[in-house]
Amino acid sequence: MLEIKPIFNSLLRSKAGALMLLVQIALTTMIVSNAASIIFDRIQYLSQETGYPEDEIFSFSVMSFDKTLDLTQKFEETETMLRNITGVKNAGLFNAVPVSGSGSATGLGLQPANERGQDSRAAYYMADENALDTLGISLIEGRNIRADEVIESQTREVFPKVVLLTKTLADELFPSGDALGQTVYFGDTPLEIIGITEKMMGPWLKDSRPDNVAIIPFVGASTFQKIIVRTDPDQRAAIMRQIEDIMLEDQNKRVIVGLRGMDEAKEMYNAADTLMLRMLVVLIVVLLSVTALGIFGLTVFNINKRTKQIGTRRALGARKSAIINYFLVENIIICSAGTAVGSIAAIFLGQSLLNFYSLPALDILYIVFTVVFVVIISILSVIMPANRAANISPSIATRSI
Amino acid sequence: MLLHYIDLSWRSLKRTPLVSFLMILAIAVGIGITMTSLSVYHMMSMDPIPQKSKQLFAVQLNTTDDGTNWWTEDNVPLQLTYKDAMALHNAETPTRKTASMRSGFTVHLNNQELKPFLSDARLIGRDFFPMFERDFVYGSAWTLEQENSSAPVVVINEELNDRLFGGVSSVGKQVYLDDTVFTIVGVMKQWDSHTKYYDLNNGAFDSPEPMFIPITLVAPMQIASWGNNNGWKHEAVTTFEGQLQSEIFWLQFWAELNTTAEVQSYRNYLQAYLEEQGQLGRFNRAVPEFNLQNVNEWMEYNNVVTTDNKVLLGLSFLFLAVCLANILGLLLGKFLRRAPEIGVRRALGASKRQIFLQHLVEVSLLGFLGGLLGIAIAQLGLWGVRSTSNEYNALATMDLSMLLAAPTIAISACIIAGLYPAWLVCRTQPAIYLKTQ
Repeated sequence: MLEIKPIFNSLLRSKAGALMLLVQIALTTMIVSNAASIIFDRIQYLSQETGYPEDEIFSFSVMSFDKTLDLTQKFEETETMLRNITGVKNAGLFNAVPVSGSGSATGLGLQPANERGQDSRAAYYMADENALDTLGISLIEGRNIRADEVIESQTREVFPKVVLLTKTLADELFPSGDALGQTVYFGDTPLEIIGITEKMMGPWLKDSRPDNVAIIPFVGASTFQKIIVRTDPDQRAAIMRQIEDIMLEDQNKRVIVGLRGMDEAKEMYNAADTLMLRMLVVLIVVLLSVTALGIFGLTVFNINKRTKQIGTRRALGARKSAIINYFLVENIIICSAGTAVGSIAAIFLGQSLLNFYSLPALDILYIVFTVVFVVIISILSVIMPANRAANISPSIATRSI
Repeated sequence: MLLHYIDLSWRSLKRTPLVSFLMILAIAVGIGITMTSLSVYHMMSMDPIPQKSKQLFAVQLNTTDDGTNWWTEDNVPLQLTYKDAMALHNAETPTRKTASMRSGFTVHLNNQELKPFLSDARLIGRDFFPMFERDFVYGSAWTLEQENSSAPVVVINEELNDRLFGGVSSVGKQVYLDDTVFTIVGVMKQWDSHTKYYDLNNGAFDSPEPMFIPITLVAPMQIASWGNNNGWKHEAVTTFEGQLQSEIFWLQFWAELNTTAEVQSYRNYLQAYLEEQGQLGRFNRAVPEFNLQNVNEWMEYNNVVTTDNKVLLGLSFLFLAVCLANILGLLLGKFLRRAPEIGVRRALGASKRQIFLQHLVEVSLLGFLGGLLGIAIAQLGLWGVRSTSNEYNALATMDLSMLLAAPTIAISACIIAGLYPAWLVCRTQPAIYLKTQ
């Protein structure tokens, strides 16, 4: 009924064209499945939750060049000034800005630094009792930092005694979940865990431990200082526009740089991934179109070549559907072989990407979906020319014979 | 003859406009995508100072204890401690060398006209300028005497000179960096390299710093690094003096070594230096470890071309292969259908060679047209790259070599795809086709 054998035989007689189509389909399967796997990996990475209300937060850096000034006192005033702006929920000095790609990290351990073996890698934010509120982060357990626990100093000779940890970090240090009230060591300094926060990201989304974060109640106002402000989301843009003037009015021997919303900071940090994602999407779309056009073009050619043959078949009583079937079956044979070869090649490519570039392993599902998709596209691109073939008049067979 | 072939090819293209268009489109899209990623790759991986890249060496010293893990492939830290960087900087050997560090200052002229602004600065030794071939528009580098006495002198670039002094020579004039008065000794020509190869630590494609000041100012002015500071052991560093004495890595170091003998003698020097430091009990390491890597090795070691770029480039070439398979299939169909005509031409005396060449000219024409359209598509792609991230502004462009590469790749790819169909068609036996006429 499906005339597989004669079609197959006729394919073997004009191998080269069919073989090229097969190669094309195999390569397409191989590239698309691997690219799709990378794309979905990036989508997952880019759309992950940071824990922060990103559209409410913005940050900037202040470079103060008046070295006669008492910076600690000046920044106290500045913070108060910022908090009093209408629309500002809270603001404060930080040593690092979340998801900005720049900050500090250390190893926190259960013993002082010189005695311990293993420790947990943790990013840390140094800020005052307003830190959690400024970042829009809630506590899960324990209490917030009290104002009297915050150390304000230009050196680290006096260091705080308490710390807030994210749940992830607390659980890593104390797997039994009883972190609250315990002690961790920052270098040789013991810090009591007074609170455990919900998830929040450190400065580096690509860190090996991106959400291991500690908040240490320390403010070391320096000549180069970062400030984070949380506002009503609909007032953020307006406040950001005025902030330089407000800050310079407060103190004119300073320069404001790096003013950006947290969403923008995250976008900048992830620019290369966004780019890779976009380029791969373009690649896949164009690739599938080229393959579809290739199948279309080749079928048109085959039909032109076989016009007489088709006319003869029609004259001998073949139905239109038989003609369409012929091209469909021919295509499906090539397509099956192509996707089969392509699937194996895809697994091979996926393995190499995993080995050489440590990209995520290729899930077989991507290959399955790609194969289904390629088959559908190839059928679609065959149907139109096949229809045209079916409409070839039987009389064509009698014309030149 | 060639003109005749081109004419024939053009007629052939016009005879089957749809398929010809499909083929040109396929090659154009293939070239467009490939050239987009190849251009970015080319700009990223390009040798930034080809005439000297083999003589400039980044120095790495492993002054950590045995068993310390670093994130580099060979566990050797990328940067140096202050004491090591300055020891190497002040050593007799080699002739040219420099410690290097990124920092920044508020720049102002202490008047009301110019609003203070923040600017990056690099702290270096005076050898840096001849080492990295920096030319001056006005003035010159600071003197050795100025460097040794930690004089507050600065070399600025043309752009900064324009901004501060409207482009006239500023040599001898003064500028405030934070609250310190610096004397300008030289104005440097704009640095047009897009890879900041002398400091790959802080964004390999950041712009070069507009100001350069003596490295000897770090200690007296307590200048902090604006780059990475990495510690590996617990040290209670609370003061700037403590930072200078610490084992924290925060400076880079470059040496110029012109001959293999110089390289070898510097290796011996570093080996001896590390052994001596080890004996002083600074670190516990059985075998001294250090690296000397030239500019290109250094770029490779620092993964300037990211995995993503390599993967993308590979996938693009695979994509080009798909386009080629596509064209090959279409060419087969197109050429073989012309067999009767070829049969007649063969019967009229055309040689196999002529037929073969004619078809290759035809595919080259396809490749050329596809290549041109491909350049347009690549420009579109590069525009897309640039609009995604500022970092790519200088990278996502096609230089002349890439502009020439596009049609070259397109034509060679098409010729490769066309070889088999052309060979098939030139083997046409005239007799078969003559019979049916």
